[in-house]
Amino acid sequence: MSSASAAVNWNPMIVGFIAGFISRVLYLRSGQSHNPGYPSGYIIQIAIGVIAAMIGSSVIVSLIGKEFTAATFLTLAATQFFNVRTNERHTLEQEESLILVGRGAGYIEGIALTYEARNFLGMLVALATSVVTAWNLWLGMAAGLAFVILGEVFMAGPKIGELIDVEEAEVKFDKGSLLFVGPVMMMEVGLPDSRQRFLEDGLGVILKPRDTRGESALWNIAQRQAIAHQAAVAVGVQKDVGYPEQTPLCRMEMPKGTGLAGLAIIPVERNLEALIKAIRNTPVLESGKWSKMHNTKNKKEAARG
Amino acid sequence: MADSPAPTMFAIVTTNKEAVVGGMAPVFVACNDVERDRIAMWLSRITNAIVHDLHNGTVILTVNRS
Repeated sequence: MSSASAAVNWNPMIVGFIAGFISRVLYLRSGQSHNPGYPSGYIIQIAIGVIAAMIGSSVIVSLIGKEFTAATFLTLAATQFFNVRTNERHTLEQEESLILVGRGAGYIEGIALTYEARNFLGMLVALATSVVTAWNLWLGMAAGLAFVILGEVFMAGPKIGELIDVEEAEVKFDKGSLLFVGPVMMMEVGLPDSRQRFLEDGLGVILKPRDTRGESALWNIAQRQAIAHQAAVAVGVQKDVGYPEQTPLCRMEMPKGTGLAGLAIIPVERNLEALIKAIRNTPVLESGKWSKMHNTKNKKEAARG
Repeated sequence: MADSPAPTMFAIVTTNKEAVVGGMAPVFVACNDVERDRIAMWLSRITNAIVHDLHNGTVILTVNRS
């Protein structure tokens, strides 16, 4: 080893590792809905986070020590992190048939993607911090803090509450069996028994898009499934196997196509504030994020007055 | 999955036998609306099917295949 005689400067590795690890752990805390929520899930993510931060922080030390083989092996180790997404997706897909209100494929993909991205972000933060620390220790510490904060800011995806307004609406039946939430027709409920459940215990909210981004997010079917899932997680849902018509639904106002959406749910805990808060905190899915559309009907109405 | 349901008709319960002809689903004939709803509910709970009222004396049960 060429570096054995010379004193190795461990500072870049230590500072870089700490910054990268903090960057990973911070998101485990803040991303409530993205978490398995049980200790074993945390252990797995923390272990992978430790490895990611170590890989990122040790590259620059190996390069300074002219250990190019070691640096190459580290990039090889980084490719292992592509499996994180697959593993997470598998777990959530297995869960899908076991939970009453599914997350939907779009939401699952988003969560899995976030898990993978967070590990690479931890690696990048560790690498960038160790590069600066190799130059100056104190500057490196400051840079590490800045990178962690920057990562947090950029990775905090928009919430649906920033794009739409959520308001309470009346749950009612029209033409005998058509379930309505405000002006939005949800579905046809054939059983008198289920209709009574909706009238007695049902809660309804209207989702009003603020702008074109909010509207395109709502037209996305995966986004609405994610909203229904978050709503059911927050207030519970009176549903079991054999009661498919009591599934919470989120539907657009059709056939008018005004961009308005309605959500009907039979909650266990009748708490409207919790329901609205959960819907507003649903993350905007990547698949519906940037496609901007312009609802010509709304434009005409706006032009009219 | 709930993302894109593809419903298949599973059963038909009717009080008006003349309104239903042929088809792939079994037809249950009930003597009145109360019995029709009772049969429909039982079938629904047993088979996890959704009941839809056609408002001509007939209800259909559909199952969403993933």
